[in-house]
Amino acid sequence: MDLGTQKVKAVVLKDNMVVGRGQAYSGFDPTSAAKAAVNASLKQANAQLTDVACFVATGSSMELAPYAKSTVSMMGADAKAATYRFPKARTIIDVGAEEARAVKCDERGVMTDFVVNERCAAGAGTFIEAMARALEVKLEEMGPLSLKAERASQINASCVIFGESDVVSLIHRQEPKAEIARAIFDAMADRISSMVHRLGVNPEVILVGGVAKDPGFVSSLNRKLSVKVLVPEYPDFNGALGAALTAVNRCKGGQK
Amino acid sequence: MTIEKPERKYTPEISAKEIQELRKTIRSSSEKVIADNIARMKKADPKRPYSMLYFDEIADLFGKRQQEIEAEKAKGKKVIGYTCLFAPTELILAADAIPVRVNSGWFDAAKLGDRVVPVEVCPVLRSTIGAKMIELSPFLEQSDALISILTCDGMTKFGDIMSDYKPVWRMSVPRIKDESHSMRFWYDEIKLIKNQIEKFTGNKITKGKLKEAILETQRATRAFRRLQELRKGSPVITGRDAMLVNQTYLWDDKKRWTEKVEALCKELENRAQRHDWVCPPDTPRVMLTGTPMFWPDSWKLPNLVEEANPKGIIVADELCSGERILNDPVGVDEWTIDDMLNAIGQRHLMASTCPCFTSEDGNQDRLNWLLNKIKENNVQGVIYYVIRGCILYAMEYTRIKKALDKINIPVYYLDTEYTREDVGQMKTRVEAFLEMLSVQVDI
Repeated sequence: MDLGTQKVKAVVLKDNMVVGRGQAYSGFDPTSAAKAAVNASLKQANAQLTDVACFVATGSSMELAPYAKSTVSMMGADAKAATYRFPKARTIIDVGAEEARAVKCDERGVMTDFVVNERCAAGAGTFIEAMARALEVKLEEMGPLSLKAERASQINASCVIFGESDVVSLIHRQEPKAEIARAIFDAMADRISSMVHRLGVNPEVILVGGVAKDPGFVSSLNRKLSVKVLVPEYPDFNGALGAALTAVNRCKGGQK
Repeated sequence: MTIEKPERKYTPEISAKEIQELRKTIRSSSEKVIADNIARMKKADPKRPYSMLYFDEIADLFGKRQQEIEAEKAKGKKVIGYTCLFAPTELILAADAIPVRVNSGWFDAAKLGDRVVPVEVCPVLRSTIGAKMIELSPFLEQSDALISILTCDGMTKFGDIMSDYKPVWRMSVPRIKDESHSMRFWYDEIKLIKNQIEKFTGNKITKGKLKEAILETQRATRAFRRLQELRKGSPVITGRDAMLVNQTYLWDDKKRWTEKVEALCKELENRAQRHDWVCPPDTPRVMLTGTPMFWPDSWKLPNLVEEANPKGIIVADELCSGERILNDPVGVDEWTIDDMLNAIGQRHLMASTCPCFTSEDGNQDRLNWLLNKIKENNVQGVIYYVIRGCILYAMEYTRIKKALDKINIPVYYLDTEYTREDVGQMKTRVEAFLEMLSVQVDI
């Protein structure tokens, strides 16, 4: 289980293969949301709660997780899951709703260093949401829209609040929405790439988290980092997969 | 004839009523934090040494020690506050005055400081200014004069603001310490401050008095080092207990403090013989470096480290609120006034690893301190603690990080503020870091 700020994700592993995924909005009760996500994933896996040998939780609300007797840090889970999919992964960038982080790991998938964005939403998913609202564009249209732009407008995304007023004044100046959208992703990618540079950009670089599903952001990040980041299928389930892989290890070790 | 109140150059006038109300609220929340910290430290070590009770008592900022100093003042003793370890406390002791360090560890007071200086200013200073505005800090209030050391930019201007309230004596620091004229300059500063202290207290700092003050400090250093020695092996004391012992030296009676530390060490040495560890010996061993952590609110990070899941144990630090207080002794060759003053100057300036210094090779002394402690205390990971506004520590990070990468010691840069709101986020990071240190078990 990955109890994130916006959604809870759950992954079921059988013989080290993913057989079920489920998710639910965290809302005000992450514990119930986690139960719902687990149920959905078990349904997909065609299994019962009692079939599960071991639960492990991660995510910002991991302490509220049902069933799980142990937890793993989000950074540890990131590293584990990314190397499961891409054995050559050495740098993992995880951009979620409220937080962005970068993790460095070794060939065993063990994290060796990490950085987290500095208590500011301008480098995370909620920023795109706020900006989409200001632009009056649907969230999922933001990425494709930005890809149409040849250039980016100038915005100074020092924070969500000021970013929003920046965007409003650009709209007033009648700048094309596509260029504004691209500027938003560029600004975000800028912040995240300087964070990753503090850690070192060691290939292969993997991008995960909910924001990895946005083609606009991926394209901006590729340009800012000057590398092509790899995005796994279901990037938003990466944390849950990492927790499940940890559960496999702990199960072997006799821990429940 | 009406007496004119001196005009305040910096600080706003606050009504007596507001001062009283704010002081009452912040003081009562501080008393809770102190009690809570101590309760957590007790919980962390069910067999906590009996001697710690004494330090708990001294840690009550509004308790026994405040009353003692008040009684001494009533008998005519002067109290001299200082803001930084460069202040030659031996001279204060030799003039029969009481030295107290006055940096504030109260988060709530920082918000008040915002009325005088912008939020970009380091919160230690904002909080100390705030504490002064509402007369919160017993030791700052009791100080008859302040020694302000011009280290970083914030510290330099801090003295100006404090001069709204008290006589402030400034000591200028040469920022390249290993040039030949630096020590001459600093020696002159020491002589000037000696005259200042003598004039203010009316007590002459004689050869005999100064020697006694130095010997007393040397005894404290020996006791302190005995305690540090005990942190090198399997853990017999929590990091928080050791940090509290270290920090109480800043306001306690020096002679009594030394005796109590000796008693504590005796208990701990027995404990080590019984192999009665405070936590499993394979608990990740953590060192703290960076901005000072002042009692009581800045126990935020030490509490997190030692209560995390997985747990860590703090075995060393490089903090001017911790081991730097007494790590280096005053080394005197000849007991002449000149030689003693020189030795005092050496101890307070040359031994310091403060990031305000630079040299041809940068602040190599700080790096050496870290490398030595990492080796001697078997440190497995370093938390680099920076509170917003502390530019010097922030700017030294990359160098330290590179050097520690070379010896495969993980270091985590943790930035925070004088606030309780980010405890949740800090916890996530600290736990991930500790997990990283102990992850080998999981593979």
